[in-house]
Order: sequence, then C-alpha cells, then structure tokens
Amino acid sequence: MSVDSGTTVAKRPVAGEPRPYTFPAFTRTHLDNGLAVIAVDLPGRSLLSGVLVMLGGAADDPDDEAGATVLMGRALSEGTELHDAVAFVEATERLGASIHAEVGWDSVSISVEVPAARFPAALGLAAEMAELPTFPAGDVERLRDERLNDLLQARADPRRRAEDAFIETIYAPSSPYRHSAAGTRETVERLGPAEVRAARSRGFDPGSMTLLVGGDLTGVDVHELAAARFGDWRPDPAAAGSGLVDAAAASRERRIRVVHRPGAVQTEIRIGHPGLARRIPDFHAVAVMSTLLGGLFNSRLNRRLREEKGYTYGASAGFDLRRSAGPFSARAAVNTDVTVPAVVDMMAELERIRTSPPSEAEVRAARDFLIGVFPLRFETPDAVIGSLSSLVVQGLPDDELARYRPAVEGVDVDAAFEAARAHVRPQEAAIVLVGDADAFLPALEAADLGPITVDREGPTSSEASDVDAA
Amino acid sequence: MAGLTIDFTDERLPNGLRLVIAEDHAAPVVAINIWYGVGSKHEVPGKTGFAHLFEHVMFQGSAHVAKAEHIGLIQEVGGTMNGTTWLDRTNYFETVPSHQLELVLWLEADRMGTLLEALSQENLDNQREVVKNEKRWSYDNRPYGSWVERILAGSYPAEHPYHHSTIGSMADLDAASLDDVRAFFRTHYAPNNAVLSVVGDVDPGQVRAWVDGYFGRIPANPALPVDLGDLSLPPTFGGERRETVVEQVPLPRIYWAFRAPVFGDPRLDALELAGQILVGGKGSRLHRRLVRDEQLAQDVSLFSLGLIGGASVTAGWATARPGVDLNRLEAAYWEELQRLATEPPSDDELARAKALTETDELGALQRVEERADRLSMYATLFDDPGVVNEILPRYLTVTAEQIRDACRDVFRADNRFVLTYLPAETATADTEAAA
Repeated sequence: MSVDSGTTVAKRPVAGEPRPYTFPAFTRTHLDNGLAVIAVDLPGRSLLSGVLVMLGGAADDPDDEAGATVLMGRALSEGTELHDAVAFVEATERLGASIHAEVGWDSVSISVEVPAARFPAALGLAAEMAELPTFPAGDVERLRDERLNDLLQARADPRRRAEDAFIETIYAPSSPYRHSAAGTRETVERLGPAEVRAARSRGFDPGSMTLLVGGDLTGVDVHELAAARFGDWRPDPAAAGSGLVDAAAASRERRIRVVHRPGAVQTEIRIGHPGLARRIPDFHAVAVMSTLLGGLFNSRLNRRLREEKGYTYGASAGFDLRRSAGPFSARAAVNTDVTVPAVVDMMAELERIRTSPPSEAEVRAARDFLIGVFPLRFETPDAVIGSLSSLVVQGLPDDELARYRPAVEGVDVDAAFEAARAHVRPQEAAIVLVGDADAFLPALEAADLGPITVDREGPTSSEASDVDAA
Repeated sequence: MAGLTIDFTDERLPNGLRLVIAEDHAAPVVAINIWYGVGSKHEVPGKTGFAHLFEHVMFQGSAHVAKAEHIGLIQEVGGTMNGTTWLDRTNYFETVPSHQLELVLWLEADRMGTLLEALSQENLDNQREVVKNEKRWSYDNRPYGSWVERILAGSYPAEHPYHHSTIGSMADLDAASLDDVRAFFRTHYAPNNAVLSVVGDVDPGQVRAWVDGYFGRIPANPALPVDLGDLSLPPTFGGERRETVVEQVPLPRIYWAFRAPVFGDPRLDALELAGQILVGGKGSRLHRRLVRDEQLAQDVSLFSLGLIGGASVTAGWATARPGVDLNRLEAAYWEELQRLATEPPSDDELARAKALTETDELGALQRVEERADRLSMYATLFDDPGVVNEILPRYLTVTAEQIRDACRDVFRADNRFVLTYLPAETATADTEAAA
C-alpha cells in the first residue's frame, strides 16, 4: 500500500487551504401590516427564489379534520378572485414560473422561482394566491378524491405502508404525528371547502408571516417590491397561529408489529420511537451522533447491513426534527429471508451507540462531513431561502446558520455519546416490519425481541371499489 | 431572456482521456463527473445487469484505497458522490469543497488504473447481494415496478441491446464472476473511453497538472471502441403491441411507449416541448382534460428516454381513478396525442411551454454537479461538450409545426405499445401479450 503501482500514485494528496465560507448575510424589514421581509443577495444567481411562509401547518389541524391544511395547500392554486384556475395557471406559465404551495407539519409555504426579470410579476401572482383564493367546491372535492386515491396507493406501496404503520405504532392516539400530514381516510372524507378555508385562516395573516427573497438582487429593491405586492393585505387578528403539538408516545415498552404482505420479496424495517424537537440545546451533538449512526455511507448501520452483510441496498437512521418531537427511526429494506438477522443487527447497533462511546475517528468523520458539506447545501437561492425559512418557522435565532459550523466543530466524543444515551432508546422502540410474515414469524418469535402483533388484512386493493370518483 | 453560457476548455491527454474544465468561482465548491462509454448495451447474453454490478465494484477499493474507503474519504471532507449506470454509459461523480479536488482526482485515477488489484470474491459476492436488494427495492417490491423492464422489452427486439434494462436479471447477476469483472474492466475502463469534467472553483492550470500526474500513466486500450454492430431500427414498431399485467396494484394504470428518434435528433427536441404542452404542469392538455375536467385519471405523464443507438423511447402513463372505464381513459389520452399530431399548438401554448422549459434549464444548470454531468454527457455521446450551450437555444427555436410533425411521426397507431396494469382482485383478463 505504499509504493506506486506503476499506473497510479500511491501517495495520498493533502488538502489545500479551504476557502473561507460564511452563510450569506440577509436583511429583515417589515411592512406596515407586519409582514416580515427577508432579502438575501446572491450575486450571479439569475433565478430568483421567493417564499411566503405561514407559521402553523398540518400539526395544527383539528383531530377530526386531519389533512385539511395539506388539502388547502393543494387548493390554493384553484383560482382567485381575479383569475379562475385555468387563467391563473396560464398566467404563471407565461412567466415560466411554477408557483406552488407546500405544507409541512409546522408551516405552509408558497414558493416561486423564476428569472429575475419576471420575478415582480410572478410575485404578484403568488400574492394573489395567498390573499384571494376562492377554493371552488368542485375543485376542492376533486382534490380531496385525488388524496383518497393517493391513500390507496400508499397502502399498496411497502415503503409508504411502513411509514404509516410506524408512526401509527409509536405515537399516542392524541398526537397528530400518529398519521401522515395528509390525514387518514376517515378524516379526509370529511373535508370540504369550509375546512379548507378554516385551515387557511389559522395562519394566513401578514402580521405573522414572512416573505423571503434570494438571488442576484442587483436592481431589485425587495422591500419596495414586497410593499407593492403585499402592502394592501390587511392583518387578521383572529388568526390562531401555531400552538403546542402533542407528541406523546403510545408506549414505553419494546414491541413488534408485523404488517403481512404475502409473497413480498423484501421486508421494510422501521425501528424507533418519538424523537426530538428542532429546538433543543444539544442539536449539534445529535446531528453528529445520528450521522455516524446512520447518516454516512460508512455509518454503523450501513456499514454492517450493506457493506458487511449485503442484506440491503441501504440502511440509515435519523431524527425528523419538528416543532415537537418528530420520530427517530432506523430503517432498511432487506430481502425477506434475512429479515430477523437484519433486525437483530439493527437493534445491536442501537444498543451499542449508547453503551460504549464512539471512537474519535467516527466522531471526526461525522463532524467533518457536516462541516464540509454545509457550503454545498447552499449553492442555489432556493436552498438558502429554504433554510432561512425553517429558522423563521422554528423560531431560531438569526445567527443559527452562521454559527452552525463552529458549533458542530465543538462536538466531541463525550457530547456525541451523551446525545446517544439521552435520545436513542431501543428498550422503548417499536419494531415495524412490512413483509411476508409467514416467511419469518417463527424466527422472529425465537429472537425474543418483544411481544409481536401481526396485521393480516385483506388484499391491499380491496378498498379501491369503495372510492368513487364522483 | 438570455441563457447562461458555460465557458469551458476541452483537451485530451496522450492516453486519450478527455478533460473538460469549466471555472465558476461563485461558491467554494467543485464537481467532477467521469463518463465512461460503457453501459448495459455492452453486456453480453447471459450477463444482463453486469455493467451496473460493475459500477458497485468500483466502490470496493483499488490498489491504494480500501473497500468503502472511497466514499468514506469523500464524505469525510464534506463531499457527496455517486455512480449511475444507463443503457449508453456509466458515470461516477463527486462534489466537494474546492480545496479537496486533488483527493478526488487521485481517488478516481486509482480505480481507473488499478481496480483489479483490490478485487476479491468476497467483495463481489457482497455487492451482488446489495444489487439484488436494489432490484427488489426499485423494481420487484414496488407497485408497477416492472414497467421499465416491460417497456424496454416491448420496444426493442430481443437481439437489440436496449431490450433489457440496466438492472438485469437475478439469474444473470448470480452468474457474474471475477473473470467477468476483469474482462469488463480491461475492455471498457480505459482513459480513452472516459471523459472527465471538472466544474467549479478551480485553477485550470493546477487541474491539468494534477490530472496529468494522476491519470497520465494509465495506459489506453487500443482495442476501443467496442463495435456493437448495426443498432439501427425501423422508424416505427410497424404495428400495435399490447400487454396486460395483473398485479397487486391499487389502481389500474396504462403505460404507452413509442419508438422515437435517437437522442440528438432535433425531432426529440420538438417532442420535449410536446411533453411540456401535454403534461408539463397544471395548465397542460392531458392534465387539464384527464385529471381536472373529465376526472378519468389520478395522474398523467409523458417523457422521452433519449438513447443514441437506433431509436429512443417516448413513454407516458395515466393512472385511472377508481371505477373509470379504461377504454375511455385510453381513448382520451390518445385523442390528445392525436390532436397535437394534427394541429400545431397555439402561439400562447408554445410560448408558455418555452418559458417553463427555460426556467427548468436555468434551474438545473445553476448547480456545478449538473453542469459537469452535461459536459461529460455531450462529449461522450456527441463528441462535443459545447452542446451544453446549444440545448436551450434549440428548445427555444422549435416551431409549432415542428412539434406537430414530430408528434405525427411518433404518436402513430402502428407505433404504440400499450401496457396495462390491472389490480389482481378486480381483474378479469389473464396476462396477455398481443402483437
């Protein structure tokens, strides 16, 4: 390993001097109606990216109207008081703009990305969509039926089935995190224009919203532009905004749930429990720990399950950080006949991460990855704007991104180990398996990992005939 | 609106390695992308899926790099990487902070020059299992997951190398041996079969010095290029083809495939715009009619798989809403294709399609990784990386009549392959395959 082979060079290069990188600076102003306006100048980036973000999202749906905010997001472009749906979409397309709304657990975002010259006009259409949507009944109902059909597709897709079964298993019935943000069949069937309007009015108030604009702002006065497009929008003091989210666990006991899919050639594995909220003091230590556990290619999970055993195309683990505690999960899809050995290996890694400290080299690899990849994440305006928008949504300080790299640099072995001991709890984990139960149940019972329940439901498409397009 | 022009240099080392460099100092980042002129079309009978399995072996170490260390080193410097295999080519790419470029060049050179020195049965067996799980995950355990395999098999004759997909068959993967790896490497993985593009925050003189130093001693393979024979095909299928698959799918879905001009043919540019008009957004014709107005479909799609050997495939699908008469869905989709094959689109429709295409292209080219990929692609497939600057102008000068004519040539009843997936419980027909 030390001499040149004749065709290549044995000696590894040493890195050059890193070019300094700082997260782009931004300015924040406010319109008279309270709308916050954040501008980021990114010279040379001729596509401008704009996002109008509302605080509050799918987690704020009433229990019996779960999915209302997601449906609202889809229905926002179905016409405004100035344009019907077709005229509206044609107007956006003439600008080469795709204006779309995205709904997450904690926010609703209306995004637009378009060459700079067309940005003022496109932002005007985004404002129209935010302020004056009409939510025609026929269109809302069509979108609701599309969502019901999508739920059918989700049950038939092993990946989506596993996600749904996992969150339904780990969260208490009182938590909205127990189901997908798009709601369940029972709740979505109830949704119509009234619920969609209510979802919008929960947060669409300029006094609590933020507009973010990024790209090459030469000749663009973002505040003036925002004032021209959003200045007449009246605040809505009745908007409830976002509140606390119940993220209670269903159980603190280890248990196993198997969803039987006869003949499945792979088993989708999810192992975990309610995890963490985004606003936590040890965020950076958690990032380093979860990266070495299940983020990197050479993470403990991927190395063992893929590169040593060949059980899977990829194994990973991580925390979905939300306003309240989103799920922590370890995940893999493995060939059916190694289901139980794979689960045993995954459980072993979840134990090991909290029983003995990681090595210095592992912590360094994870830290260096997070620090090094940081500038790569922010090559384009939409990525910069997206990260700033999540600061706003999660109520984080303005310097959060600027201090990210030094904070990660400061995570040592003790901090990473402490994060694992505090936040990875295999003894409380649910193990959810979607696959051919008949092929692995005896071995699963013999492995004695916890009490097992098996869902042996009817054929996945049997409900299809219940959904009518009308 | 003027597009973005990418300035680049284009040169060859004495051993045939083509080097393309494009500077961009906007961010402290560099992307490199190596395209090898080898894809699944070079697989021999009984060895389908091998080019892709080989791609996995490329991450298992070389003379001076241990198994999985390539990816480990890249990630430890904060980089991202991957490799992909397609019918016409295989590529390997990394994006790293710019002061780490030399490491990446060294890693790529080491495996180009010395892969076989680290080859072991254990690593081959391990990656064979990984790839079989990739096939299960991406194809076999996924609703409608066999569509790519079926579309290719239905669109190309059995003796044509595009007849099979890149993932291959389980039996052929099982049959892959160390000798196959050695032979494949010695034939295809040579500097004169590769294009290396380096895009980003770099000093071109320094890049040349490093590339010379690390790649310069790797010998060319004088036996290249491999002759695949005549891949040409008739311009149409010459008759309608149909296949019905009964599977565990929740909703029926109809796929269409059409024989289309080769990648690079201007008619494929026109078909790209046709795709924008037909399915490019909520204002597109198929979305508006099938999803919105008549509510026959849950979703619609149309796209081309651009290939250089004989013919491309233009394909699309529509997922039926529950209870919808599939004949009605098929007829409505077909009518919209025929309408565009008969009448040119309106000026407004064409202008909208071009505006959306322009934003898409500018968006994609913002990223150094995409620029490096495209420079290598155009150099590999068309011997001209400069095509990267011609694509958007080509799209923007397509005329309404060219769109109609391209649709007329491709969307023909004697040039369609209709593949229908039916849910197992509600299906009445058995699997059939008619000419």
